[in-house]
Amino acid sequence: MTNPVSRREFLNLLGAYGGTSTVLQAGAALGFMPSSQAAEIALQANNGKKVAILGTGISALTTAWELTKAGYDCTVLEASHRPGGRMFTVRSGTVIDEIGNYQRCEWDNDPHLYFNAGAARIPSIHSNVLKYCKELEVELQVFVNESKTAWVQDDAINGGKPVRNTDYSSSMQGFISEMLSKALGDSHLDSSLTESESETLLSMLRSFGDLNEDMLYKGSTRAGYGTGGFLDHGTTKDVIALRDLLKTQLARNVMVTTQEGTGSGPLLMQPVGGMDRIIYAFANRLGNRIKFRSPVTEVMVKDDGVEVAYEQNGVTEVLKADYCFNCIPSHLMSGIPNNFPAEYSEALNYIRRGKAYKAAFQAKERFWEKEGIYGGISWVNAPTQQIWYPPHNIHGKKGVVLAAYNFGGANYTEMSQEDRIEDLLKHGEKVHPNYREMAEKPITVAWHRMNHMLGCAPRWARNRGGWSDKEEQMYETLRQPVNGRHYLIGDQSTQHSAWMESAIQSAHYALADLDQRVRSEPA
Amino acid sequence: MKKLLTATTLCLSALCSMASLAAEGDVGVAAAMDDRYCSTCHGVEGIGNIAIEAPRLAGIEAWYLKRQLENFRAGIRGTHGEDTQGIAMRPMAAKLSDESIADIVAWVGDWEYVPAKVTVEGNVNQGRTAFQTCAACHGVNAQGNEALGAPALAGQNDWYLLAQLRNFRADFRGSHREDTYGSQMVTMSKTLRDDQAVINVVSYINTLQ
Ligand SMILES: Cc1cc2nc3c(=O)[nH]c(=O)nc-3n(C[C@H](O)[C@H](O)[C@H](O)COP(=O)(O)OP(=O)(O)OC[C@H]3O[C@@H](n4cnc5c(N)ncnc54)[C@H](O)[C@@H]3O)c2cc1C
Ligand code: HEC
Ligand code: HEC
Repeated sequence: MTNPVSRREFLNLLGAYGGTSTVLQAGAALGFMPSSQAAEIALQANNGKKVAILGTGISALTTAWELTKAGYDCTVLEASHRPGGRMFTVRSGTVIDEIGNYQRCEWDNDPHLYFNAGAARIPSIHSNVLKYCKELEVELQVFVNESKTAWVQDDAINGGKPVRNTDYSSSMQGFISEMLSKALGDSHLDSSLTESESETLLSMLRSFGDLNEDMLYKGSTRAGYGTGGFLDHGTTKDVIALRDLLKTQLARNVMVTTQEGTGSGPLLMQPVGGMDRIIYAFANRLGNRIKFRSPVTEVMVKDDGVEVAYEQNGVTEVLKADYCFNCIPSHLMSGIPNNFPAEYSEALNYIRRGKAYKAAFQAKERFWEKEGIYGGISWVNAPTQQIWYPPHNIHGKKGVVLAAYNFGGANYTEMSQEDRIEDLLKHGEKVHPNYREMAEKPITVAWHRMNHMLGCAPRWARNRGGWSDKEEQMYETLRQPVNGRHYLIGDQSTQHSAWMESAIQSAHYALADLDQRVRSEPA
Repeated sequence: MKKLLTATTLCLSALCSMASLAAEGDVGVAAAMDDRYCSTCHGVEGIGNIAIEAPRLAGIEAWYLKRQLENFRAGIRGTHGEDTQGIAMRPMAAKLSDESIADIVAWVGDWEYVPAKVTVEGNVNQGRTAFQTCAACHGVNAQGNEALGAPALAGQNDWYLLAQLRNFRADFRGSHREDTYGSQMVTMSKTLRDDQAVINVVSYINTLQ
C-alpha cells in the first residue's frame, strides 16, 4: 500500500465538504459538552392530588420526591424488600435476592467494604444525578476509572502474562503517531494542509506518541522506567511490537476508557459508602409513603384516574389515584394484568431485557496496592472481562475487588454459584498470582435472575444501525401518558438506557407533562 | 392457600432471615424475603409472560404441574444445551422438596384462570386436520387426558405451545432418556410436516375452549 489514504478521504477527515473551516462551524455545539443541564423543576403547588408511584427505581423516587415537595399525596409501591432496583449496594448483611441463587453477604462490617452490584459510576456530565446528590446531601468522592498501572491480560499476548496498561497504551499511542506522521509526509496529504497546520499536527503527534527526533517510536519512559529514574537516569522499557499489540481484541477497551461522552471518562464519581446512599437519601425523606413487599398485581386506567391493585401480606389492596407513574420493567409489566391500549402494550412488549453480570469479593489484603495499583480497571480477555480496584480507603486493611463485570452476561446466568466463583478465580489468578488466596466470600449478581428486575439495560433498537422508524414511533407511544393518567418512566422510556441520568430525565419529562395538565385544569 | 406457601414452602430457611438494614435508615427494614418468585416470571397469578417466555400456570392440571416440577428438578427437562427457556426454569425447581412441590401445586390451584390472548395466526382448517392425531391423547377439545399423561393445551399461551412444539421437533425437549412422556411427544411433533403446520395446529387449538 503506497497510498493508504486518498486525498479526498483526507479532506473528508478535515471536515471538508465545504472547506477546512467547516469543522468548527458545524461544531457550534462544541462548547455544550455537559450535554444535560440540570433541570429546574417548578411544579405548581398542589393540594393533595393522589399519585400512585410503582417501583422504587431512581426515576420513581425522583418523581415521588418532586411531587411530595409540591404537595401531592404520593404512595410508592415496591415489590421487593429493598428500594432502588438496579441501584443496589452489597455490604455486610445484604441479602442478594437472585431467584434460584439466594445469597447473603458476610463480609466484614466496615463502611469501606461494599460492592455496587448495579450502577457504580457517575460521569461529570450527568448533571441531574449530581444535582440530587447535592440537594439530598449525598457525599461524593472521585472514582478512578482508569489506572495506567492496572493490567491487560490476554492469553494471546506476552505468553499470557499480564502487561501493564501503560506498556500497552504507550506503545499503541507511539505506533499510531508514527504511522500518522509518516502518512503526513505523503505529498498528497501534505499539500492539503497549510504549513502551520502541518506543524501543529506533527508536534502534537510527536508528543502524543512520545516519538524521537526522527518521528519514530522507540519506547517511552511514560511506561515507567526499565531501571533508575530517580537517583539515576531512567532507561526505557522494551517496546511491545505493534504486531503483538494487535493480537488482543482488548485494544478497543484499553484505549477508550478515557472518553467522557458515553460516560466513561477518566474522572467519574461515586457516593461515599455505596451507590444506594442516593436511594436511601430519597427513601428516608419519603418515609412511610413507600410500601415495601407490595407487588403491583393490576393496573387499570380509568377516565378520572388509575386503580392499582397490589398485594401486601397475602391480601390484595386497591389504591385509587389521580395519576400513576410506573417504572416497573416493561418485561415484568407484560405479566401484570392491565387495560393499556393495544398499541401501548405492543410497544411495552417490544423492549427486550439486556443481560449483565457482576461479581465481587472481599480481599484479605489490598494486594493490588503492592503492585502499584490504586484504582482503575484491569482488562481481561475472558468472560469476567474486568477487575476493578477500590479507589477509596487507600492503604486500609481490606478492600472489595470487583472481579467480573460482563455487560451482556455471557453464560453466567445459567451457571451455578460454585462455577461462577471458580471462573472468576481462574481468570483472576492469571492477572494476580495470589488472587485465589486473597479472595474471601465472593458474591455474584446475575441481573437476569434478580427478583423483580430480571434484566439490566432495556434494549430498544434491534439493528446495529440504530433505531428504525417503527421503533421511534413505539417510543413516542410510550412517552404519551395513557389517558393522560398513566406515565411510563425509567430508563426504559429513554433513548439511552442503563444510566441513572436517563431514568431521572424520564421522570422530569413526565412531571413536566403532568404539571402542564394540572395547570390547564379548570379551577 | 397463599399463606400456606408463605409458611412452609419457598421460605427456604435462609430466605426467612433478613439482614438488618438499620444502617440504611428507617426504611427498607423488611421481615422476610419475597417468597412468590414464581410470579415474577410467570406473571401475576400465573397468567403467563411473553416477555420472559414463561407460560401460563393458572388452570394447569395438578398432576401435570407436579410432573413438570419433578422433571425440572431431576434434570429430565431443562438440561438440553439448546433449550434456553427450559434452562431458565430448571434452577427454580432444583431446590424444591416434595413437600414444597405439593404446596406449590395447591397454591397454583388457587389461581384464577384468565383466558390467554391470541398471538399466533395460521390456517385453522389445516390445523384442524392435523389435530386429529393429537386428539387421541390430548382430547378432542384439547382438554387433556390424565390417564395418558397428556396435558390440556386449550387455554395455554399459544406462543408457548409453538415454542414447545418447535423444541420437541428439534429434540431440545423430550430427548432425555428418562423422559418417557416427553419422548412420545417428540415422535408426535414430527408428524407435523413443517413449521407452518406447527403454526396451523396451534391456531386451531386457539379455537378450542
Ligand atoms: C450492572 C449495571 C451497571 C450499571 N452501571 C451504571 C453506572 O455506572 N452509572 C449509571 O448511571 N447507571 C448505571 N446502570 C443503570 C442504572 O442502574 C439504571 O439506569 C437505573 O437505576 C434505572 O432506574 P429506573 O428508575 O429505570 O428503575 P429500576 O432500577 O429498573 O427499578 C424498577 C423497580 O420496579 C420494581 N418492581 C418490579 N416489579 C414490581 C411490581 N410488580 N410492583 C412494584 N414494584 C415492582 C423493582 O423492584 C424496582 O425497584 C447500571 C445498571 C446495571 C444493572
Ligand atoms: C426465572 C424465571 C422463572 C421463574 C422464577 C419460574 N419459572 Fe417456571 N418457567 C420459566 C420459563 C422461561 C418456562 C418455559 C420453559 C420452556 O419453554 O420449556 C417455565 C416453565 C414452567 C413450567 C412448565 C409449564 C408447562 O406447561 O410445561 C412449570 C410447571 C413452571 N415453569 C412452574 C414454575 C413454578 C411453580 C415456579 C416457582 C417455584 C416457577 N416456574 C418459577 C421461567 C421461570
Ligand atoms: C401419544 C400421545 C400424544 C399425542 C398423539 C400427542 N401428544 Fe402432545 N403430549 C403428550 C404428552 C404425554 C405430553 C406431556 C409431555 C411431558 O410430560 O413432558 C404432551 C405434551 C404436549 C405439549 C407441551 C404442553 C406443555 O404444556 O408443555 C404440546 C404443545 C403438545 N403435546 C402438542 C401436541 C400436538 C400439537 C399433537 C399433535 C400433533 C400432540 N401433542 C400429540 C402426548 C401426546
